[in-house]
Amino acid sequence: MTPLLHLEGVSKTYQLEDRWLARLRGRTRRLAAVSGVDLAVRRGDVLGIVGESGCGKSTLARMILRMETPTAGRITFDGQDITPLSGAALVPVRKRMQMVFQDPGGSLNPRKTVRRVLGESLGLAGVERERRAEAAAKLLERVGLNADQLDRYPHELSGGQRQRVAIARALAMNPDLIVADEPVSALDVSLQAQIIRLLMQLRDELGLTLVFISHDLALVHHLCNDLVVMQAGRIVERGPPREVLHQPAHPYTRLLLEAIPRVRN
Amino acid sequence: MSDTVRRPGTLSALLRRPAGLVGGALVTAVVLAALLAPWIAPADPIAVDLAAKLQPPGVVHWLGTDQTGRDLLSRILWGARPSLSVGVVAVLIGLLGGCGIGLTAGYYRGIWAQLSMRVMDGFASIPLLIWAIAVIGIVGVGPVQIGAVQFPNEAKLALLIGLFYMPPLARVTYGSALGEAASDYVRARQSQGAGDLTILFGDVLPNCLSPVIVQATLLVAVGIVVEASLSFIGLGVEPPNPSWGSMLADARGFVFTGQWWMSVGPGAAISASVIGFNLLGDALRDALDPRRSVGSPAISGLLG
Amino acid sequence: MALLEVRDLCVGFPVNGRMLEVVRGVSFTLEPGEALGLVGESGSGKSQTALAILRLLKRPGRIVSGSVRFEGSELTQLDEVAMTRLRGAGMSIIFQDAMASLNPAFTIGTQLTDAIRAHRTLSRSAARDAAVDALTRVGIRDAGARLAQFPHQFSGGMRQRALIAMAIACQPRLLVADEPTTALDVTVQAQIVSLLAELRRELGLALLFITHNLDLMAQICDRALVMYGGLVLEEAPVGPLFASPRQPYTEALIGCVPRLSDVPGQLGVIEGAPPIAGRMGPGCPFEPRCQHRIERCAAERPPEMATADRRVTCWVRAA
Repeated sequence: MTPLLHLEGVSKTYQLEDRWLARLRGRTRRLAAVSGVDLAVRRGDVLGIVGESGCGKSTLARMILRMETPTAGRITFDGQDITPLSGAALVPVRKRMQMVFQDPGGSLNPRKTVRRVLGESLGLAGVERERRAEAAAKLLERVGLNADQLDRYPHELSGGQRQRVAIARALAMNPDLIVADEPVSALDVSLQAQIIRLLMQLRDELGLTLVFISHDLALVHHLCNDLVVMQAGRIVERGPPREVLHQPAHPYTRLLLEAIPRVRN
Repeated sequence: MSDTVRRPGTLSALLRRPAGLVGGALVTAVVLAALLAPWIAPADPIAVDLAAKLQPPGVVHWLGTDQTGRDLLSRILWGARPSLSVGVVAVLIGLLGGCGIGLTAGYYRGIWAQLSMRVMDGFASIPLLIWAIAVIGIVGVGPVQIGAVQFPNEAKLALLIGLFYMPPLARVTYGSALGEAASDYVRARQSQGAGDLTILFGDVLPNCLSPVIVQATLLVAVGIVVEASLSFIGLGVEPPNPSWGSMLADARGFVFTGQWWMSVGPGAAISASVIGFNLLGDALRDALDPRRSVGSPAISGLLG
Repeated sequence: MALLEVRDLCVGFPVNGRMLEVVRGVSFTLEPGEALGLVGESGSGKSQTALAILRLLKRPGRIVSGSVRFEGSELTQLDEVAMTRLRGAGMSIIFQDAMASLNPAFTIGTQLTDAIRAHRTLSRSAARDAAVDALTRVGIRDAGARLAQFPHQFSGGMRQRALIAMAIACQPRLLVADEPTTALDVTVQAQIVSLLAELRRELGLALLFITHNLDLMAQICDRALVMYGGLVLEEAPVGPLFASPRQPYTEALIGCVPRLSDVPGQLGVIEGAPPIAGRMGPGCPFEPRCQHRIERCAAERPPEMATADRRVTCWVRAA
């Protein structure tokens, strides 16, 4: 079965030198944020990308969504090479991939009510104006909120509720793929569990394809059926969580696992 | 847990603050004076009556008369017009240009941002008053004819000042736009396929408004002072039309001869307008922020 | 004598004429050299408790009632001068965001020596030596060279180490750590926690460790307080707390922490959301989300029941 998302040799290198004179003389410092990543995500997969800060996982996420252009390699989405695309050509592809961000505070416009946020998204997804209110209420229900949250502003909602709205917004586009970049890291433990359970439900009910980025290995253990470990821009280990997390092959993976606080008994 | 959230309207939030009340009252007074001058002014502001010249405030002329017998109260009321119109029109011109430049610079960045911001910096380095005096001095004082419509001299002032308002407004907008354009919710909209213009006006601009509004109200106050200054030296409103600035110029010769009412009236009018707009700007900024709703823990920032 | 004794501490913020209470009657004791964990989620009041102890509450917040005794002296009565002398020398605090706690315009060396000289009369060079000493002790190599660097030149973990160095430079008896590792990577987190454990041993430091991460707290603390809605719902030694939690909230919280040892997909969940200060009923703050609630729970605040090593605040479950 052809994968929904396929990354081959994808790299992203940043030029660090800001002073144009130095650049002119060819002296630049380069930062390889991502190097040579090969990845395949099939429909219905939940892929976990784990690593510590600076490993390149967020850059990788942005490249998958084509918010950044890879400096090398190829990204194929549903059979189409999306690497060279830009501007208007990218719009129909982008609509099929949605993102859920880490910070529930920043991912919703503080001046827009939930109703407006969802309404606009539904509009862009092609839903007619008359049907939007109903569709928005259904979306909220699906993520575990009730319709009277529609007229709230983001700051009137708790962190967990905001994150649910962000998920609802992503679902409004009826995407083929959702990329979630540390979606629960900023939440309390009890709310984290709720959102993870919601994602598990959406995975089971909707057959959602999900790329789940996290630094928390235990979450990946619960949610994902496939996993890659990143370090300094490269993938150092991959496989199903039950293998990678319980019989790690790479020393870095072992390091991560050892650092997890274990309850003394 | 669905409890109804009391979200007070902007107006009540405005009036709840002393700055809003006082500022609002002063600005309303000035605006009303300007709008209703033809009906509430007791006398014709340019009617000369040499028999009644230099009269102190009294029953007939509530604020006294000037050296040609014109009623000062009427002149002050009518004088609100040029002050306000120059102040407001200049700000509108500045907003149009400045916000447009700032928004696009902050959103698209790159060469355009660098270029436009450097040009704005260049403009900002020229003192407004000097520039205005120079340009009007060259172009000359007098009405402007565009097609069938004749604009008074103040129109030149408004345009000049408006051009000079673009740099500060552009800079303020640029600063906010930079931050907002990089935020997650803008990226979310982009990923949903929303067009750039929609995002600029629907998402970025509303969140940049707060500092822009404060700046804009301050600039109205500046405009009033600049108009008064230029009229004071004869480059603004042409006599005999009343302007607080030219009234102060007339009063100059009579300060030491005891006709205090000639300078106190227009001086107070200028001060009241400037203070009013400043206070209003401060209060508006606070009232417009939807994050500061009363009833929900405004202390959530403190609790962390 | 106990190092720190907190009795019925209440902290509130006056808002619009009402007093919003965020800490509603917290009591605990800390012995010298002991490590106590303060566990809770947002709105539990744990951070406000810590700030209240050091009298660092952000205005208009203040201690409404209760007593805080440090080495015998009543801190709520102390004036600001005496309090300033105590902070840094008697007790110290480190916060979550190391970058925000450090002044970006000054070198680490300046900030460290300033902290040292504030409490000890030392010449500049002696203070510098003490600073090098402190940095080395917290595991920063090349301490001498590092003194000349600015905070942004340090990594996140090193900044936190530098903060710890500042906090212990004058050898306080109590260190309060408010979520010190939340912003750090898991490997760095482990290092910081073992550093704190080491320092405890070396200096006989008592530690009040505030966190929402139960498992992390268990690495370093002997006892734990579980806070929710401004109250202490349970207190127990760490081992028994995890082995047999009595309070329904503690039990549920332990259950919803994801662990590698869980069966994949089976994650405990607590429905609902944490309470908001000022919007809680007269009864137990956890009642709306509790599986074991009875009618009394919503109506009356549950009493605290204590046994030899435990305290439980609940109507349904006893210690």
